[in-house]
Amino acid sequence: MGDNIKIIENATCTFCGCVCDDMHLTVDLDEKKITKAKNACVLGRAWFAQHGIPDYPQATIGGKEASVEDAVEEAAQILAEAKFPIIYGLSDTTCEAQRHAVAIADLIHGCIDTTTSVCHGPSGIAFQGVGESTATLGEVKNRADFIMYWGGNPAESHPRHFTRYAVTTKGLYTPNGKKDRTVVLVDVRKTPSAPVADIFLSVKPGRDFELAWALRALVKGRKLDPSIEQVTGVSLATLEDLVDRMKNCRYGVLFFGMGLTMTRGRHFNSGAVLALTTDLNEFTHFVAKPVRGHGNVTGADNVLSWQTGYPFGVNFSRGFPRFNPGEFTTVDTLARGDADAALIIASDPASNFPRKAIEHLGAIPVIALDTKQTQTTNLARVAFITATYGINTAGTVYRMDDVPITLRKAFDSPYPTDEEILTAIRRRVQALCGGPAVPLRKVS
Amino acid sequence: MSVTLTLHTQPEVPLEAECLSPDRLATLDQAGIAALPVLHGNRNMTVGDFFSVDGGKDLTVRIIGDLGRVKHVATGMSGGHLIIDGNIGSHLGLGMSGGEITVTGHAGDWVGPEMGGGRIVVRGDAGHMVGSAYRGSKVGMRGGEIIVHGRIGNEAGNGMRRGMIAVAADSGDFTGVNMIAGSIFVLGRLGARSGAGMKRGTIVSLHDAEVLPTYSYAACYHPVFLRHYLLRLRQLGLPVEEAHLGGRYRRWSGDSVELNRGEILLFAG
Ligand code: SF4
Repeated sequence: MGDNIKIIENATCTFCGCVCDDMHLTVDLDEKKITKAKNACVLGRAWFAQHGIPDYPQATIGGKEASVEDAVEEAAQILAEAKFPIIYGLSDTTCEAQRHAVAIADLIHGCIDTTTSVCHGPSGIAFQGVGESTATLGEVKNRADFIMYWGGNPAESHPRHFTRYAVTTKGLYTPNGKKDRTVVLVDVRKTPSAPVADIFLSVKPGRDFELAWALRALVKGRKLDPSIEQVTGVSLATLEDLVDRMKNCRYGVLFFGMGLTMTRGRHFNSGAVLALTTDLNEFTHFVAKPVRGHGNVTGADNVLSWQTGYPFGVNFSRGFPRFNPGEFTTVDTLARGDADAALIIASDPASNFPRKAIEHLGAIPVIALDTKQTQTTNLARVAFITATYGINTAGTVYRMDDVPITLRKAFDSPYPTDEEILTAIRRRVQALCGGPAVPLRKVS
Repeated sequence: MSVTLTLHTQPEVPLEAECLSPDRLATLDQAGIAALPVLHGNRNMTVGDFFSVDGGKDLTVRIIGDLGRVKHVATGMSGGHLIIDGNIGSHLGLGMSGGEITVTGHAGDWVGPEMGGGRIVVRGDAGHMVGSAYRGSKVGMRGGEIIVHGRIGNEAGNGMRRGMIAVAADSGDFTGVNMIAGSIFVLGRLGARSGAGMKRGTIVSLHDAEVLPTYSYAACYHPVFLRHYLLRLRQLGLPVEEAHLGGRYRRWSGDSVELNRGEILLFAG
């Protein structure tokens, strides 16, 4: 380790939606490495440790190294010429960069969509259809005495969710931590999160909707047939006991994950637990929150919502925003072959989308921004390598409970930020498309 | 003289052509129709850029070609007869109030969303959200008929308030979800979780189906009204057999998390 060491207090980890902002980082400025990340969980430590300064060209056009200026020009030309351009990704970058992506979508009259559409998009539809009774994680920590996780495995995906926000942490009205709380886990199998639960409900795969619907019926005092056990795998007596606890808790929270939103029923599954939460408010205070994955996917929802009115799957073809998941969401616009150009930011659809969508991505001009080379940057016509948010750039991200958190930079990167590249593309696109001259924030 | 539009250039990206509605074309001659605006992706184009137009000033319109990429056709249609000779894209007959649309091929998602009257007949399959409410809207189809001779996708009749949807083959999941009233006939198999959140209304299937735990079994009987409906569906060319007309049906009532005034009728032989 060199002598040029910097300590950063209260830095923020952006690896998962917990966005823990109590990191204590030791940075070796000579080596450009984070050597220690106190308070981070195993995932957070790996996240901080893996980032150094990579050795990639800053920009490529057609796989050949190019100047950033030329690449911006090429990108802007592609986007301005496209008749059905799509913008996708955005969950692993700052809100400041996301803002520019929305502006570009508006200028080029294209679609804008985020990774929400492949994780909690169904919840987005359900919020609109059913409504949301919500709280911050601070409130959960201080008040909640009944915690339910449905279709998620935070022990492995969000390791500090239990200790920092919801289970073992001690709060104002939960001074004894876990002893003051009842923890329920609903999942199709026992995961490493199960040991933390006081009650574990093993629901039959694909039967979450029936289970939530049965709970709603019981909360409303309706009769249920004991055959519910054959349908859901959970006995009527267990359900009745659970409903009793839910109705009689002081402050209940239902956290739901992709096990619920991405299985058969999708937005109706999310809608069912949101409706269950609403029903429970007849008896006590109950809230529901999705457990979000990527560091700033919640920010992407927020930025899109405040700028377009909708959280994902937005189209500007007519010059005003329209929302229609299934029509304007990226997997669909690609798989149907609608899109004729794509701008992908901080995401790698070429490695995780359905085959048909990837094939179409390979057939159209793609512009990709990422902190490393990925399958998407490899197939892109124009690719930019950018600095990592939260490590090389400051900015704002939203925690999974919609609380904005400021990032602190650990060390400088020679690569430009997403915000800088997107600002440059936006300026050029604006000139090409003749959009309204919006004053642009100067980027340092 | 009737109007015929033939697709001569396949759109590269989705084409939005809400102007292609008989009541709007009826006032125009050939040149007027060809000059109507359409949206090709994000570019303003005209009908003539994609279709050759034959005839004008008539309420009977035939469109020939694979229109799988053409959306919003016959938006707000109030009368006339539109025949689509081929497939059609999404949002066909959006909010239509009268007239008849016949599709000889398959239809995309959102057939007759929030329609108030008239009839849509699809000879092939139809996609998801047939006769549904748009996202963020509570009420779907408010009247009229949608007849599909093939299969339909998920969420048919979402938030439906009045009118009828009839399907010759199977329906997808959540058929009649959040239904307020109206009738849905599925001559094939009903998708999972049909009638979830239903307030009133009738869902009929000619096969047995799993119903949600929030539905309760009421009776097995022969509903008299059903015979009239089924005879009419047979007239419209749907495969209703003699046994279905006089048969007995299991009646499930629900959804108990809502008003509990809806019914699912399942053919029992
Ligand atoms: S819980 Fe998530 S945000 Fe917190 S340190 Fe671990 S990976 Fe980072």
